[in-house]
Amino acid sequence: MKALENEISDERILIEAAQRDPACFTELYENNFDRVYAFLVRRVGSRDEAEDLTAEVFHQALAGIGRFQWRGLPFVAWLLGIAGNLLRDRWQRAAKQEVQIEADAEADEIAGADDNTEQRALLFQLVDGLPQDQRLVIIRRFAEQRSLREIAQELQRSEGAVKQLQLRALENLRNRIRSNHE
Amino acid sequence: MSSLSFADQLDQSIGILMAQPNAAHGHADAGLSELLGIAAELRLFPRPQFKQRLKADLLRQALLVSEAAPARVNTRVLEVAPRPKPAQPQPDILPTLFGVGYGSYPVRRSNFVTSLAAHAAVIALMLGSSLWLTGRHPKVGHQFVTELTIPSLYSPPAYQQNHGGGGGGDRDKLSASKGELPLLAREQMTPPTVIVRDSKPELAIAPTVVAPPMTMPQAPQMGDPLAAISGPPSNGAGSASGIGDGTGGGIGSGEGAGIGPGSSGGYGGGVYRIGGGVTAPRAIYDPDPEYSDEARKAKYEGTVVLWAVIGADGRPKDIRVSRALGLGLDQKAMEAVRNWRFQPAMKDGRPVAVQLNIEVNFRLY
Repeated sequence: MKALENEISDERILIEAAQRDPACFTELYENNFDRVYAFLVRRVGSRDEAEDLTAEVFHQALAGIGRFQWRGLPFVAWLLGIAGNLLRDRWQRAAKQEVQIEADAEADEIAGADDNTEQRALLFQLVDGLPQDQRLVIIRRFAEQRSLREIAQELQRSEGAVKQLQLRALENLRNRIRSNHE
Repeated sequence: MSSLSFADQLDQSIGILMAQPNAAHGHADAGLSELLGIAAELRLFPRPQFKQRLKADLLRQALLVSEAAPARVNTRVLEVAPRPKPAQPQPDILPTLFGVGYGSYPVRRSNFVTSLAAHAAVIALMLGSSLWLTGRHPKVGHQFVTELTIPSLYSPPAYQQNHGGGGGGDRDKLSASKGELPLLAREQMTPPTVIVRDSKPELAIAPTVVAPPMTMPQAPQMGDPLAAISGPPSNGAGSASGIGDGTGGGIGSGEGAGIGPGSSGGYGGGVYRIGGGVTAPRAIYDPDPEYSDEARKAKYEGTVVLWAVIGADGRPKDIRVSRALGLGLDQKAMEAVRNWRFQPAMKDGRPVAVQLNIEVNFRLY
C-alpha cells in the first residue's frame, strides 16, 4: 500500500514536471509504454498496427499534457482512455467499410486495462530485466523474428548454445512471473 | 542430455508457433506448454528500435512545444494588455502643482520638480536602509558537479557495480582481520600485510594499495576495513600477497592491487561515475532548499557540498555531506535533495546508478 502511494506520488511529481517542461514527458513514456502497448496489441493482434496506435497515443498525450488534471487516478488510466478512443475511431472507420459488426462487441471491451493486459505488460517489463545475452536472444527471436542460425552467427555461438539461452530465458521469465504472483 | 533434448523440443515448437500463430499448440508436457504460452505472448513483443525511435520523436516534439510556448504567451500579453495612457493631471486634487488658481504669483515648475526628486530620494534611502537593516533576502541555488569525491572508504555505497578493486591474502585459514587501509598511491611497491613474514627486509618500503591518493589517518593495525572480525590477525584466504579473499596484492575480494571487489586497482564496489559512456542524470524535480532560521538570523552564507548516489530509478540515495556549512543548512540541503527526482544516468541504453556531487549555494541578498 505504502509502495503504491509512493508510486502515485512519484507519478504526480513526474506529471507536474512534464507540464512545466515537456521534455520530462519521456520519463512518463518509459514508465507506461509497456502497458499501453500491451493493451493495444491484445486488441489489434498485430505488432505493426499496435506500434502505430501506441505512437499516436503518446503523441496525443504529450500534446495534451498541459490540460491533464490530477484526480488521483494512475496516469496510465488517462493513456488507456486515449488508446480506447483511438481504437473506437479505427473500428468505426472499419465498420463503415463493411468489415464486421463484431467491432461493436469488441468496442465494449475497451473500457479499461484487464488482467490479460497487465500480464502481458509485466512480461514485456520482465524481458528488460533478463541478463544481457538472454534478453538479446528473446528480442532477436521474437521481436525481430530471426532464425536460430542468424542469432548464433551474430552472437558467434553454436546453435545449441543459443537454444540453451532461449530455454533459460523462457524459464527465467516463467520463474519471475511466478514470484511476482506470490 | 535430457536438458538439451528439451531445448530442441522447445525450439521446434517455437518454430511452429512462429510460422502458424493461429494453430492449436497443445502439448502433453506441462512444463513445455507453459514455456510455449510465454513464447506465444512474446510473439508480439515490441521492437526495441520502435520504442527508442518513438522516444526520440516525443523528445523532439517536446522540445518544439517548449520553444513555441513562450512566444505564444508573449503574443497573448501583447494583444490583451491595453496601451498605457499618459497620466492626466488632476487639477482638483493638486492645484498648486499646475499653478491653477494662483494668478497672483506664478508657480515655478523647476523648483517643484527638484523638491519632489529630493524628497523621493530621501524616502528611497530611508526605505532601502531599513530593509537592509531588518534582514537580507535569502537566495538558494544549486548545481551539479560530476567530479567524484568519496567521503569515506569505511562505509562504501550499497550499490554493487565493478569499478576496479583489488584483493589479496596469503592462503590463511582465517578470514582477513579488520583494520585500516594502508597509504593510497598510484603505484604499489610493497603490498599490505597484517602478519609480517619478513621482519628484517633488505629495503623497507611502506605498503600501499593502488587507488587515487588521498590523505588518510594512519592507524597501527592494518587490515580489511570491511572485515567482520578484528582478530586474530590474518592476511586472509586469498593469494598472491595483500589482505582479503581475493588475489593480487590489494585489499578485499577482488583482483589486483586496489581495494574491494573488481579488478585492476582503484576502489571496487562503488557505483558508476559519469563519463566514459555513462551519461549524467538530469534533474526533473529539484526545488531549492529553504534557508534555516538560525542561518538567516546570523546572516550566514556559504556552499554545502553533498555527495549522493542517483539510483537507476532516479531517486537520490546515500546522501552525505561532503562539505558542511552548519547552522542547520546542511540538514536543509539534505532534506531538499532527498525529494529530488532525476532522469537516471544511462549506460548502454540502460539506467544505472551514478555518484554525483551537488553544490547548494546559500546566499543572502
